[in-house]
Amino acid sequence: MMQLNLIADFIRNALAPLRNFILTYIPSDWIMSLPAITLVVFGIIALVVGLRYKPLVISFIGVIIATIEMVLFDPSTMSGYSFGTLFIRDAFTDFFIYIVLTVAFLVLMSSTIWGGDHGVYNFLLMTSFAGALFVIMATDLIALFVAWELMSTPTYVLVAISPRKESVDGATKYFVMGLLATMLMLFGIALTYGVAGTTNLNALSVFVNNLWSSSAGTGPAVYILILAMILFVISFGFKVGIFPGWQWVPDAYASADGSVTAYLAGGSKKTGVSALMRILMIGFFFAKVDWAPLIAGVAILTMVIGNVLALAQKDIMRMLAYSSIAMMGYLFIGIAAGNVIGLAAASFHAFAHAIMKSAAFILIWAMSYKLSKRITYDDLAGLNKRSPVASAMFAVLMLSLAGMPLTVGFWSKLILFQSAVVAGMWWLALIGILNSVFSLGYYLRVLRYTYFEEPKDDSKIHLPPVIMIAVGICVIAVFALFIFPNVILDYAFAAAQSFFP
Amino acid sequence: MQVAFFTNLINMLPLNILVLMLLLPLIGALIAYLFGGKGARAITLLVTTIELGFAFLLILGTPSVGSDPGGMSHTVSYLLARLGTTSDAPVFEIILGVDGISMVMILLSNLVVLVAALTSNHIHESEGLYYMLFLVLQTGLLGVFMALDLIGFFIWWELVLIPMFFIIGRWGEEGCRHAAIKFFIYTHLGSAVMLIGFFYLYFESAMVNVIGYATAVPTFSMVALRNLGLDPWVQIGFALALFMGAGVKLPVWPLHNWLPWAHVKAPTPGSVILAGILLKMGGYAFIRLGLWMVPAAISRLAIPFAIVAIFTCIYAAFTAMAQSDMKSLVAYTSINHMSWVLLGVAAYAAGSTSTNPIIHAAAILAIEGSIFMMFSHGTIISVMFITAGQLKYNAGTREIPAIKGLMKQAPRLSAVLIIASLAAFGFPGFSGFIAEALIIFGSIVVYYWAAFIGFGIFITVGYMLWMLNRIVFSEPDPEKEVKESPWVDLIAPILMLIPVILLGVWPDLILHIVKPVVDAMLAGGIP
Repeated sequence: MMQLNLIADFIRNALAPLRNFILTYIPSDWIMSLPAITLVVFGIIALVVGLRYKPLVISFIGVIIATIEMVLFDPSTMSGYSFGTLFIRDAFTDFFIYIVLTVAFLVLMSSTIWGGDHGVYNFLLMTSFAGALFVIMATDLIALFVAWELMSTPTYVLVAISPRKESVDGATKYFVMGLLATMLMLFGIALTYGVAGTTNLNALSVFVNNLWSSSAGTGPAVYILILAMILFVISFGFKVGIFPGWQWVPDAYASADGSVTAYLAGGSKKTGVSALMRILMIGFFFAKVDWAPLIAGVAILTMVIGNVLALAQKDIMRMLAYSSIAMMGYLFIGIAAGNVIGLAAASFHAFAHAIMKSAAFILIWAMSYKLSKRITYDDLAGLNKRSPVASAMFAVLMLSLAGMPLTVGFWSKLILFQSAVVAGMWWLALIGILNSVFSLGYYLRVLRYTYFEEPKDDSKIHLPPVIMIAVGICVIAVFALFIFPNVILDYAFAAAQSFFP
Repeated sequence: MQVAFFTNLINMLPLNILVLMLLLPLIGALIAYLFGGKGARAITLLVTTIELGFAFLLILGTPSVGSDPGGMSHTVSYLLARLGTTSDAPVFEIILGVDGISMVMILLSNLVVLVAALTSNHIHESEGLYYMLFLVLQTGLLGVFMALDLIGFFIWWELVLIPMFFIIGRWGEEGCRHAAIKFFIYTHLGSAVMLIGFFYLYFESAMVNVIGYATAVPTFSMVALRNLGLDPWVQIGFALALFMGAGVKLPVWPLHNWLPWAHVKAPTPGSVILAGILLKMGGYAFIRLGLWMVPAAISRLAIPFAIVAIFTCIYAAFTAMAQSDMKSLVAYTSINHMSWVLLGVAAYAAGSTSTNPIIHAAAILAIEGSIFMMFSHGTIISVMFITAGQLKYNAGTREIPAIKGLMKQAPRLSAVLIIASLAAFGFPGFSGFIAEALIIFGSIVVYYWAAFIGFGIFITVGYMLWMLNRIVFSEPDPEKEVKESPWVDLIAPILMLIPVILLGVWPDLILHIVKPVVDAMLAGGIP
């Protein structure tokens, strides 16, 4: 049970004096938000330091301290609320926060090749990480909205400041669609408040329960709440890159610098997932009959769109972007199932996807930076002769994304499909499996180019060692989590159970 | 077959022998990759030889029907994942165990893998990677024959695909990339359908309440599922899914389309493993997951299965006749012969429940023939593929019309080719004859119309002799010189001919191991 508890206990005991010190001097209302606040503080320090020195090390320290604070203050032994009841930490939020922090660490590692020596870049990244943490913790729609903006706004800039020319286009598209989504979200919040008179998710849950269980004279209120719910799905789904808000994903992902892409795909995407899960599973828990088919439909469309369009791509970054859309489609199968195993599977898939996709984006970005061109399939030709380790790692990541055994992708897909069957949606699992087979079309194409084709240019590619280490960690995790999936899966189940007290 | 001395030897091993057999190639793979070049080949030969030794040890020291649940021996399980935080949550496990049928298949795979390793002497490009994949492939193959739970079975089953994909695509001939991808997607689609079937059984094994927790713990364990005595309709649903997964591998018409491509384009060792073992995975799945686990379904589906098998046999024989590429001809021969396995399975399923003792005995004959056919075909087809590969080196082509006068110019190679061809079409005295005889004698009693498959034999004899006539016994073409094979290249096929002839005169070597399992299989699960 909870294999990592030993390590956590060790850290807690070793740092007990620090813990007591913090508990004494920091207002108790802030304690649970401390990791996010730390990130902001270190972001500002990095901005100042960046005027003269290279600030990347400051960001690293910030992320590490935030992680330690996460471990030190365990929400299961003390109150999880901070800033009144606006933010909460529980098993579910912790799971997603650790995903974001893991991705943050990987992203900072990959920033060593580009961007890490600018103060602004560090500041924006750190602020966005902090925003992501707040989004995950928010239990109130207004707090959620503010946190959402805190997370999104820096990423608009980050996408735009990449070394690529076309990045402004991608950023503009991202920005415009982001604003649209924000407007829809505000509209949804307004509708919710107008009907329910509250923006607190727990209070909303009670209201929805009463509304849905009473029979007569509640028609308009029900319809307005359903409309609000659909607006939430659209606006949060925009960040996640699901139907109908997926159009910006390939442009922004392919034009931004790879570290930011890794963050968008691995980190900020998961916040959208967690926010949606929280809204649906807490706020609209009693309306599950109404949203489950909706989410199932979204999942199907997303999978199909992602897979079909990924097959048509020549650019690897774009292919990965579309594949990431498809992966979110699989994830929403778990949410549509809406049972313990489904939510656990979705959380587990979020974690697996975060490490697989971050690593893939970082690897391709490093290669693209090294060769100073966009990477297409032709550039991958004969990669195993030019850089055997990189090509082996990329092959493992592709097989994992395809869901082959010996990689964590196998478990995450398997449990997702299983959850759909448990919920009685066997057709959804069937469509998922068929899509999964279909997706081999483009994953295998990568393997074909890297291993079977002859390179046009025999020169070796030497990628920076930091990148290789970052990707290597992920690849090892991909294997290790196949053999010991319960290391993470137990936490995912604990997270899912927090919705079913 | 159990000899006390070997049983003690197995017990003296530091690990469970099955775990040891699975881990050894994996460790060997890592070392082979690090060494690369000649060292990798040496390590691979060493590992595969030790594995063959283990297989003999296993088969000599283990009873056909063991004392563990389901008549298994050496059962061991490893918990992969627990779905939930409570101790009664459903689990994914890997369970290993063997009985007589598995042991025969394990022996066959280790034999074929060793021979394939011997024939890899023409592979000179990226040897480290090649031998690494080769040994990983061996682990996957052994795992399939040892698995006693559906998830483990699926994992091993898929694990075989990945190295095979690389071996076909990287070291194959012109057009191999397309063949590799076709092979992968075809078989993966089949496996995906089979996976749905696995989950179907899994959910049927327990009732599940609304929030996703089962009221009885569902299970993937084959032994447990067998003992449940599932509803026949549930079993039929599963059997249809199984037909997709195992039928692609076996292969049967109309799921066979990937096979000629993959076999022809793969390098010779790849073809040997593909035809020698991968096809047997299909046959084994039909027996283990079909007959052994869901007997009621297979007996209800026996007539369609038998019809498909007979049609496949005749269809493949005609197609083989039309091939001009030697490897292609051999590939279609395998489809032709593997359909016999399905016929045996169908005949057994239909006849084993009969109260008439004659039909009953015939049914047992048929299934024994099926298992015997898998072993014998695995050995014979390996020789055929090796000689087909040799033709490319010696004559510069595999086109049958272009090779002439092999007997005069390359007598050693011709001798091997002639013996293998005779064995392949079932000449008495070779193992192929025993296999075909057992199946056809058994199935004719159950279904008289199974005699139609005799037409398949007739055509097979025809195209084999015609092929020999054109290649071996024709007048040499003075413009085209054919070199004689060096002895080094002939070690592997000659080694492989030993079991072919030995089993041809002493079939009880295999049948004695299989017989107790077949008898126990009749009894079905516990309830």
